[in-house]
Amino acid sequence: MGGQACILYGAAEFSRDLDLLVGLDAGNVERLQEALRRLEAKVVFLPGLDVDALARGHACHFRCHAAGAEGLRIDVMAALRGCPDYEVLWRRKSVVRLPEIGEIGLLALADLVQAKKTQREKDWPMIRRLIEADFLQYRADPQADRIRFWLKECRTPEILVQLSTEHVGLYNEMAGQRPLLRHAREKDMDALESSLEEEEAREKENDREFWLPLKRELDEWRREYRNKKGDE
Amino acid sequence: MDEMTEQEEWARMSPVERYIESGKLWAVYLSLGGSFDPQPDSQSPFDYPELERALPPDGRAGVYFVRRG
Repeated sequence: MGGQACILYGAAEFSRDLDLLVGLDAGNVERLQEALRRLEAKVVFLPGLDVDALARGHACHFRCHAAGAEGLRIDVMAALRGCPDYEVLWRRKSVVRLPEIGEIGLLALADLVQAKKTQREKDWPMIRRLIEADFLQYRADPQADRIRFWLKECRTPEILVQLSTEHVGLYNEMAGQRPLLRHAREKDMDALESSLEEEEAREKENDREFWLPLKRELDEWRREYRNKKGDE
Repeated sequence: MDEMTEQEEWARMSPVERYIESGKLWAVYLSLGGSFDPQPDSQSPFDYPELERALPPDGRAGVYFVRRG
């Protein structure tokens, strides 16, 4: 779901780790544990592989020690801010068949874009590139749903201007959902760019609010862990 | 959008082609001593020192920017 998904969607060239979104039914957790065992993956940070914590939005962090995967970092999550439940994400995933691996499920592009709307500066250029890559692949003959998606999520002013000029009907449909499209239609680039920045700032704030209770919990676990270590 | 030639080329590959090309970068990255560990990121909810490791998996110095142009 992370950098590797961005590579497969054409937005990134390289990623150093592997981020997995997992379902938390018993069978799946067992399969995950077995895969981590084969990779000789050790927990590198709290909370360990904790189903309740994963369900609340925490991530579990591992480092692999098996031959061929030494040092590889794997982060596991089960809930993503702003995204529907895992079952829905799984249903609408993309599937890619990779050589020597087989079929893998990828977060649908729209879900990946939503998942990337974090408080981290570095995720925002990636959102921009995800949409640009999709636009570059499909702009010759796009379907209406795809154009709606671009109008809803695109962060490249020039593309937004082009879309709102060439697809006026869909622009009219989407402008209520995303008021900054009006600036694209008027080709007011300064206003468009500052509205995109405001949109980004709002989402970053939403993400910080989402993480606030989880961060408190992490800090508490960390304190308890350190105290316990200190007592030993 | 005019300066997108490389980006466009990458976007137009199939996912499998991108996967293969990206895999080639791993070999180069590791041969240069690149680390798997995340760089410090004060904006990340996971910005804890425990998640960084001083040494890369091969024990050699990692690849870091010494100067950004």
